[in-house]
Amino acid sequence: MFLQQLINALTIGSLYALTAMGATLIYGILGILDIANAGAYLVGAYVGWYIYYATGSIVLGFLGSILLVGLLGIFLQRTIYSPILAKPRTLSIIPLVAAVGLFTISSDAVRLICGPNSKTYDLKFPMEIIQVGKVTIQPAWLLIFALTAVLLAILWFILNKTKLGLAWRATAGDREIALICGVNTNNAMALSYILGYGFAAAAGIMTGILYNNITPALGEVPSYKMLAIIVLGGLGNPLGTVIAGLIIGIAEVFLSVYTKIPIPKDAIAFVVLIIMLLVKPEGIMGRRNKV
Amino acid sequence: MLEIKDLFVSYGMMEVLHGISLKVEDRELVSVIGPNGAGKSTLIKTVMGLVKPTSGQVLYNGQDITRLPAYKRSGLGIGYVPEGRRVFAKLTVEENLRMGAYELKDKKKIADNMAKVYEIFPRLGERKGQLASTMSGGEQQMLAISRALMLSPKMLLIDEVSMGLMPIMVNTCFDVIKKLNDQGITILVVEQNANKALKVANRGYVLETGNIVLSDTAENLRKDDTVQKAYLGG
Repeated sequence: MFLQQLINALTIGSLYALTAMGATLIYGILGILDIANAGAYLVGAYVGWYIYYATGSIVLGFLGSILLVGLLGIFLQRTIYSPILAKPRTLSIIPLVAAVGLFTISSDAVRLICGPNSKTYDLKFPMEIIQVGKVTIQPAWLLIFALTAVLLAILWFILNKTKLGLAWRATAGDREIALICGVNTNNAMALSYILGYGFAAAAGIMTGILYNNITPALGEVPSYKMLAIIVLGGLGNPLGTVIAGLIIGIAEVFLSVYTKIPIPKDAIAFVVLIIMLLVKPEGIMGRRNKV
Repeated sequence: MLEIKDLFVSYGMMEVLHGISLKVEDRELVSVIGPNGAGKSTLIKTVMGLVKPTSGQVLYNGQDITRLPAYKRSGLGIGYVPEGRRVFAKLTVEENLRMGAYELKDKKKIADNMAKVYEIFPRLGERKGQLASTMSGGEQQMLAISRALMLSPKMLLIDEVSMGLMPIMVNTCFDVIKKLNDQGITILVVEQNANKALKVANRGYVLETGNIVLSDTAENLRKDDTVQKAYLGG
């Protein structure tokens, strides 16, 4: 029973990590909270659904959705975020409000274009449910684990083993000095957006497959839960975000299964966040002092 | 090599540089001295493209770079050692150096330059895998200088190299600056430590509240009464 719940929790946790990764990458470079990532998650789930139903291939659904939503991210960065941030003395609330607006637009656009009713993926897996002793493993969970691992490995490789990733980390550390070194920091931002929105899109599709249900309201819960996860992970720290996502997944599953605490599941992330802020305000992987 | 013509810079409503003109000739070492808040850092940041002037010109080898984006300036061979060092704290020493060589495409040249800076500052070589944030102020200053050297710069702009360092470290830094200049790198230093800055320089400018009030050879400035009283403690 315990092992079963743990597997369950890690599945949900890795989805959370992937969902919040975009916001983390964007915060790391631009220092803004891009709530619109939850819009990318929603739009990604729908784009993936349409491609899947048009082509019958879920692989194409994933690739197409990641690519298209990633490009949408770059488009939004170039047309909305960068112009706002280029204005002198921009208050940090302004890009946040823009992001909330974009998220609202994305939800309503999906409702108008795709209709208010839910859609189902009905994905047929070429394998049966795996039974190991008393533990059941759904094929969808394996898909989520494997894909999350692959995407995070790609992210790790780009950030740590490529010149572009080095430039990204330098830009996240000190944008002005990165500029002086010759980094076109616009490209580092673009990397954040294409990866961030692409990851959110993948997470949206996986959520759709896991629950076999997508609706225009899909982005609502992630839009705020994402905040708890990225703050918990130390704002702008990719590794911290993975750990925070898993912690929230575990906390949600175990608190709702093993305790009788009468709070809704989606509020647990914030209970964890509040405890964390009291104990270690800089987040799991954050630093106390910014140098 | 570098010429600044009638430069005006404002932060919002406040004008901080009121028409600065100065020149740094090829292979010269020029110091700009002046009190805190005179606009020294602003001057250097404008040359690097981090601050946009309201009017005036920055010429580099005769080319007008006033409106050139900041990230294109290192490609011209201009290295920058910022005030407060500003090493990339979460990057290792070696990664910091690689960032300094970001504009270089030739891998062999990068390796050569890295070997060279490890030779100048052996301490960095011993700590190349360490995060920059874990190093002392002096070591970070060595790293900031080395990062700029990774570019094989033709010109170096150095902002307050002595700030917050132990006296022995200050001497080391100025020795290195002098040596680099002897090797043919043109250098512009802005510095509160007027004594050290004028000792190594060929020429100097005195910047006060956004105006250049004096300019002469470094030797004459050191003998100048007002400079002695105001900046050399004499």
